[in-house]
Amino acid sequence: MVMEIGIVLDASRLARAPLETVELARLAEERGLDLVVVADEATGRSAGLDPWTAAVWLAGSTSRIAIGAPAGAATTPDPTDPEAPYPSVITKAQDSIDILAQGRIISDPSGWVVAPRGAKPEELASLAEADLPVVVPVDSREDVERLAALAAGRDHQGGVRRRSTAVRAQRKPNIDYDGVPASLADTAVEPGDPPYRSLSSTYLRGGAPGLVLRPRTPAEVSDAIEFARRHRHLPLGIRSAGHGISGRSTNQGGLVIDVGAMNTIRVVDPARRLVRIGPGATWKQVAAALTPHGWALGSGDYGGVGVGGLATAAGIGLLSRNHGLTIDHLRSVDLVLADGRQVQASREHNPELFWAVRGAGANFGIATSFEFEVDEVGEVGWAQLVLLSTDIEQSLRRYAELASSAPRDTTVFFVTGQPREGMSTIQLFAVVDNPDPDTVVARLTPFLELGTLARQQVVMTPYSGVMGNAADVGPNGQQGFGEPNSRSAFLPAATPEFAHDAAAMLRSGGVYFFELRAMGGAIADIAAGEASFTHRTPAFQLTAMGQNNQRLNAVWEPMRPHSDGLYLSFETDRSPERLLDAFPAPVLERLRTLKRRYDPDNLFRDNFNIDPQTTKEPRA
Amino acid sequence: MTDYGHDLLFGTFITPAAQRARQVVDLAVTADRAGLDLVSFQDHPYQASFLDTSTLLAFAAARTERIHLNANVTSLPLRPPAVLARAAASLDILSGGRFELGIGAGAFWDGIAAMGGRRLSAAQGVTALREGIEIIREIWDTTISGEVNYDGQYYSVNGARRGPRPAHDIPVWVGAYKPKMLALTGAVADGWLPSIEYLPRGADSIPELNALIDGAAHDAGRDPAAVRRLMNFMNVQLSSAPRGLLNGPPAAWVDQIVDLALRHGISAFIIGGDDPSITQRFGAEIAPAVREAVERERTPAR
Ligand SMILES: Cc1cc2nc3c(=O)[nH]c(=O)nc-3n(C[C@H](O)[C@H](O)[C@H](O)COP(=O)(O)OP(=O)(O)OC[C@H]3O[C@@H](n4cnc5c(N)ncnc54)[C@H](O)[C@@H]3O)c2cc1C
Repeated sequence: MVMEIGIVLDASRLARAPLETVELARLAEERGLDLVVVADEATGRSAGLDPWTAAVWLAGSTSRIAIGAPAGAATTPDPTDPEAPYPSVITKAQDSIDILAQGRIISDPSGWVVAPRGAKPEELASLAEADLPVVVPVDSREDVERLAALAAGRDHQGGVRRRSTAVRAQRKPNIDYDGVPASLADTAVEPGDPPYRSLSSTYLRGGAPGLVLRPRTPAEVSDAIEFARRHRHLPLGIRSAGHGISGRSTNQGGLVIDVGAMNTIRVVDPARRLVRIGPGATWKQVAAALTPHGWALGSGDYGGVGVGGLATAAGIGLLSRNHGLTIDHLRSVDLVLADGRQVQASREHNPELFWAVRGAGANFGIATSFEFEVDEVGEVGWAQLVLLSTDIEQSLRRYAELASSAPRDTTVFFVTGQPREGMSTIQLFAVVDNPDPDTVVARLTPFLELGTLARQQVVMTPYSGVMGNAADVGPNGQQGFGEPNSRSAFLPAATPEFAHDAAAMLRSGGVYFFELRAMGGAIADIAAGEASFTHRTPAFQLTAMGQNNQRLNAVWEPMRPHSDGLYLSFETDRSPERLLDAFPAPVLERLRTLKRRYDPDNLFRDNFNIDPQTTKEPRA
Repeated sequence: MTDYGHDLLFGTFITPAAQRARQVVDLAVTADRAGLDLVSFQDHPYQASFLDTSTLLAFAAARTERIHLNANVTSLPLRPPAVLARAAASLDILSGGRFELGIGAGAFWDGIAAMGGRRLSAAQGVTALREGIEIIREIWDTTISGEVNYDGQYYSVNGARRGPRPAHDIPVWVGAYKPKMLALTGAVADGWLPSIEYLPRGADSIPELNALIDGAAHDAGRDPAAVRRLMNFMNVQLSSAPRGLLNGPPAAWVDQIVDLALRHGISAFIIGGDDPSITQRFGAEIAPAVREAVERERTPAR
């Protein structure tokens, strides 16, 4: 057993001699002790140091050692009592110190055992039987040194990473942390581990999973799935790069299998332009790796998005009109299924599964590697334009005409928000897949009539330059917050009536982000039956995000008559009816039959879940 | 011309964003190293994306060495006065006398109510604040023996222990805009701490608001100079061309601040913006130049 040893500092000493007393905590930290707590031994006439302030002060004065910081007992709030703190504020204080001193705080006052001053080693050992850290009151540097000498003699469990009591205190009772498969134990992250904050949230949604497993190989993914099967009572998120709009790759208190480490990009057959890509790679990385070969693989419009989530959904991007969807380039995919089996799906092997993965992949397994046939793509014209419009309806109408009648090489996405004082700011993101700058300019010029040009940036660049503007996700990871609200629709055509209703929706203020992605062209060259993503013929894909879900639903309602189906990547509504918008009835039925075969217990259910048990299909 | 003659203080107003907790603390450290006098954080406990201000103040105090710290300003309705007084005194002791108390009657009552707090009208809030300040000062005062008994309209307590006693006389700075709050400030506070953006006519409002404070101080038999005048400037920018108040080149900042100090008696200048480079230049270039100019003006010509 590993014994954790810490020190107790006397609060009145801390008040009398703050600097010297803090030095004792620093010394304990330097000497590798595990915990500092403050105890109020004095019962003077006047009140002593506020224990919370003292604990936070110690946390700020040290950097590694755990701090015992029991928050004041929650009293019933009584606004007339000047001594009664508000429980909600206490909770916030605890959350805050957890953020400021990550994983170092033990807030449970029964989280340690206090030994008598000058306790003998045997005494300490017997107190440590409780598997809690043992703390000893100290008054001097000598006291701390003596303890440190004792602590230096502790055994350390060989090989296994040791988590402090502070971290273990944050474990969830319904997760078998000690049963994490050996292959994953080293990389697993739990609340309180230093990398936890960087893995708990997604791009738009805050989360706090109970355990993140981070497999590096398909075999480890199998191990992770085996562990997940033992935790069917918990939500399970599958995470690649954490850019899912609905944010279901994280959760509250459940498991996350994060394949972000599987991010290699490798050319397997230069002649056929076959490239193998791990799910954890981002499209920015993919584009950068392919550019030296003069190749590109269309993705979306943002380089930070991950391969895993997008290549299992569709991939409607700035190259799609000329080169098709991302899934149209997929030649085979390696998956680990719910029973832990590793399989390959392609036209030749498991063709049904291959069909299902290209549109509803998240329901069928964890993709561990994708093989794509990529295209030769030279320099493209890449434009980011900002236009100001006083008539958003007219701008929408004109955009729709221009974007859908443009040649295939020209793809223009339209982003706007609520008009301010009658003025809409329109952002256009455009790729002209043509190496000739004059053609690029000619193709883009008509779009300038959508408003007054406020800013423009047009460059000739390989596709990696288009993806490259995405910010790299730094060591802090994704920092989404709260619950995102996003509605999605496919528009068979963008009509003047649509422009009218969309303008009204924008003016309502219920939508802060609105994007039209132009489709058509090569997307429609592929037969609808090819993949479980069947929305081949819409002219546009529409996304609208709002701060308030109810309000968003209300203002979105007029969009429904203009829509036919939705793209699941941009939808956060989890009601079962939405399934039929994502997958038309016969497609859904076929998916459900396959789901029963491949995931009969419904292990994979984080996003747009096709429940194998449902016998009656929902109605639209 | 009003100049209350206080020594000048320069400080920062840092957004306590939980998502950027590390940068928030780093900004406080930057302000400390830049030689500034104050680092402050707003206190909105109902704002989910913010850190708890009391916790952040204690943590940042431990990470800094010289700079003084204050909430800008504490929302009294969610900080019961005795709890607040003890936390403030404790931090003052631990930090060697570096804590100051910014306090306000509370705003955003929906948020306060959502946290379990009591909803008060503006007038009720002023009285509650007056009571709160009295209780805070009572708790701090350990020279008197006996417990604190208080029977107010909004707070009452029987037999609260006194202490701890702060390491220095913690000034109470009140965030005030309306006449009743300004009167309270003049009557009992050690400082006035508003934001220039919220004054009805910006800097032009200062003489009139100062006069209200001065009048209230007189009525209470106090010297108006007992009330330091501080000011937050949320929107600041260092740019090459002068564009407005604290939005221009350093030299323009210096002129504007000197003017505010000598003509309006403002003696503490607290800037927002969360920008480490502005923080550095504020401490290294602007503050010394202002001090020198004000010193020159204040010294009687011989
Ligand atoms: C800024 C932004 C712009 C975008 N633009 C476009 C666009 O132009 N076109 C477009 O088509 N999409 C676009 N998207 C949507 C994007 O494609 C999806 O959100 C995608 O799911 C993100 O993938 P990820 O791996 O980063 O996300 P994650 O959050 O890691 O995963 C999202 C979901 O995908 C599933 N999943 C993830 N990894 C795997 C795996 N290895 N195996 C099986 N299932 C998995 C899970 O259900 C998970 O919940 C955009 C998203 C953002 C945030």
